Amino acid sequence: MQGQKNSLSTFNFNMKQKVFLTSVLCFFVPIVLGYILIEVLVLQIPFNYKNTASFFNSENDKIETIILGSSQMNNAVNPKYLDKTAINFASTSQHHDLDYNIYNQTKSKLNNLKYVVIELSYAHLELPHNGKYFWKNSVYLKYYGVNAFNRNTYFKDRLIYLSNPDFYSQSLYDYYILNKQEANYNSYGFDENNFQGSFKNLAFSEEKIAEMKIKVRKTNQDLQKENTVFLFKMLDDLESNKYNVIIATLPVYKTYVEYIDTSVVKRRDSILEVIDKKYKNVSFLKEENDTTLFTVTDFINHNHLNPNGAEKFTKKLNTHINTLKN
Amino acid sequence: MLFNSFDFGVFLVVVYLIYWSIGNKNRVQQNVLILLSSYLFYGLWDWRFLTLIAASSLIDFYAAKAITFSKRVNFKRAFLWGSVLWNLGVLFIFKYYNFFIESFYSLFLYAAPVEGFTVWNIIIPVGLSFYTFQTMSYTIDVYKGKIKASNNLLNFLCFVSFFPQLVAGPIERASKLLPQFEKEREFSLLKSREGLRQILWGLFKKMVVADNVALAVNLIYASPEEYGSLSLLYASALFFFQIYCDFSGYSDIAIGTAKLFGFSLSKNFNIPYLSRSVSEFWQRWHITLTRWFTDYVYTPLIKNKSRSYFTRTIALFITMSLIGIWHGANWTFLVFGLIQAITIAIERFPVKSGSKQVSLIYYLTKLPLPLTIIYSFIIIMTSCIFFRSDSIETSFLIIKRIVAFIPSVNFSFVIGWKILVIPILIIAEVSTRFKSFPLINLEKYMSKPLRWILYYSLIIILIRYAGPKEQFIYFQF
Repeated sequence: MQGQKNSLSTFNFNMKQKVFLTSVLCFFVPIVLGYILIEVLVLQIPFNYKNTASFFNSENDKIETIILGSSQMNNAVNPKYLDKTAINFASTSQHHDLDYNIYNQTKSKLNNLKYVVIELSYAHLELPHNGKYFWKNSVYLKYYGVNAFNRNTYFKDRLIYLSNPDFYSQSLYDYYILNKQEANYNSYGFDENNFQGSFKNLAFSEEKIAEMKIKVRKTNQDLQKENTVFLFKMLDDLESNKYNVIIATLPVYKTYVEYIDTSVVKRRDSILEVIDKKYKNVSFLKEENDTTLFTVTDFINHNHLNPNGAEKFTKKLNTHINTLKN
Repeated sequence: MLFNSFDFGVFLVVVYLIYWSIGNKNRVQQNVLILLSSYLFYGLWDWRFLTLIAASSLIDFYAAKAITFSKRVNFKRAFLWGSVLWNLGVLFIFKYYNFFIESFYSLFLYAAPVEGFTVWNIIIPVGLSFYTFQTMSYTIDVYKGKIKASNNLLNFLCFVSFFPQLVAGPIERASKLLPQFEKEREFSLLKSREGLRQILWGLFKKMVVADNVALAVNLIYASPEEYGSLSLLYASALFFFQIYCDFSGYSDIAIGTAKLFGFSLSKNFNIPYLSRSVSEFWQRWHITLTRWFTDYVYTPLIKNKSRSYFTRTIALFITMSLIGIWHGANWTFLVFGLIQAITIAIERFPVKSGSKQVSLIYYLTKLPLPLTIIYSFIIIMTSCIFFRSDSIETSFLIIKRIVAFIPSVNFSFVIGWKILVIPILIIAEVSTRFKSFPLINLEKYMSKPLRWILYYSLIIILIRYAGPKEQFIYFQF
């Protein structure tokens, strides 16, 4: 009878309610199933984090070096050229706050860790922490088990597609519809086919590249103090754990150097001097102005190396690490 | 817990299933569930402030009872003022104390001292301005004899903390919402469907329109000195739509959620961008707040409607300034309110038309509709520049750059084709302007498969094209 309770189920609903709930359930089931399908398809797409995570999980006891930093560092270090087992945790727009959380939340699993490579590009100390890439928290959570943004996380934070539908819709389209499978991630998660960029588009013509307009990211001097305090906190932690720290400045193309604000560089260099005096466990690998070793064919664009450049830089890093005492 | 979060979805489903499973014959148990869920909903932000809600509820509940049982008018008045002062005191301490202290010191050009009246490191409880206004109106109405004091504490606690409208309204009157806790709520298939549709529409406005538009607004307002007239004008116009969709989207979700539980909440927005005057705008924008200030500030100030234009204008300035300041402790909000007050005062200015005395609004209504809409939009948009800016200086900088016709080199929509969400919204709302929201009563016009296709499309758009998640703007108020 309509309107009468049915006490057989856990919940007691009348007929009207049952009709409504059944209808809602029927409506949402295809949405849930469709979403699950999309999530599965996204997870099948080759992704550098996937390889890096699988390397991390299988080799964590052997890893001696971790590399932290932004996309510049991610592109600059191919761990296969390092003698000591290494993992490159660097990724797009990853500033020291995220670096620190990644290091801090993975170190308990890295029993053999001895070297930590940190990036300090010319603008690093005057750029804001916690950029706009919050969506990457899902990626860090999913692949590294790291809550890099230190936020309360819930089930939905583990859903990859939902973290950035724009990005993953494009990835789905590229991979499954256009069949683009250009990336070739090695077991460390480094893309060995990553040559495509503005320099290649200009056939590495130095004249054309010299004519290109360069947009250097706007810095904010007010952030320097706060960012430096944070960096020192990170260095204190690394020192107390007796790790060797290598602070690296990364190669940029020669015309880019001209656009760099020298006052920002001076302020950064003054901090480097303080670090040099304060921390005995820190050494420096300064490649920012090395425009002779790194030539036009080593770059994707003005401030990102391609795999050729990465080979050169990583070998330099390797030599540097090998000179350090354990 | 945000309405546009996965967590709220799960919370809603669980509470909903238990609520109707309890059955409408067990109203008390249902109310207990509503109270517990509301406190959980609020406590997930910051459980410490639950004590504040509970304290406000208890004080106002017993103040109203005391008003009712007091024989002497002086006592009644004392209990009323006790309740009002408590509510205003809480508001002042949490929301305005730092503002006044900082303003006082900056007025005399020295920094806040370490001792004495110092700036406190306090956070504003979410939804404070909404629920204090709701409880304050209750005791005032009891004092005025408009309603009877509630004898049921549980119902009253539910009235203050009802989770769909707890943190950002609509600001309900006890005469409307409280009786709904006192009687059985009938499950209605129609209301439930409408509730879900209204939630869907609210989510669309918030996640697709407001959050995408926010990208452009935030970018341009972050460094207005770098942008030309067109870009700043564009961002300011977009901000109006951002705040409208953000807040009205929230209200739609609140009203829709309440419908699912058999409650009816007040309409809070009525396509405000169709206003022909600023006076009309305030009858279409945040309607429950405007009514609150009209009933409890403006009307008591003028006492009767036959007062002179001058008296009414003074009352108007006080009311609009308070509405401005209600939004936040910043001089920019005060200017926002004052711009409205000045414009409304001009619109109400009495002029003679033959033997009759009319106001300027009379002439405005004679103008072609598009012209009047543009007029009110320009005024509202200008006041929104103050609403959005961090400081008065920034607001003036933006206005100066707009009127100086500084060229916008490389003008960009910032969000590309997603800007189309604005015309889509306008078409949807204007074409259904006589309905409470565009998706209502779809059964009359669409077959079930078509309706489902529409819902699925909206959900796909929500998943695929939602902007980066932004806090609801009005939560901070």
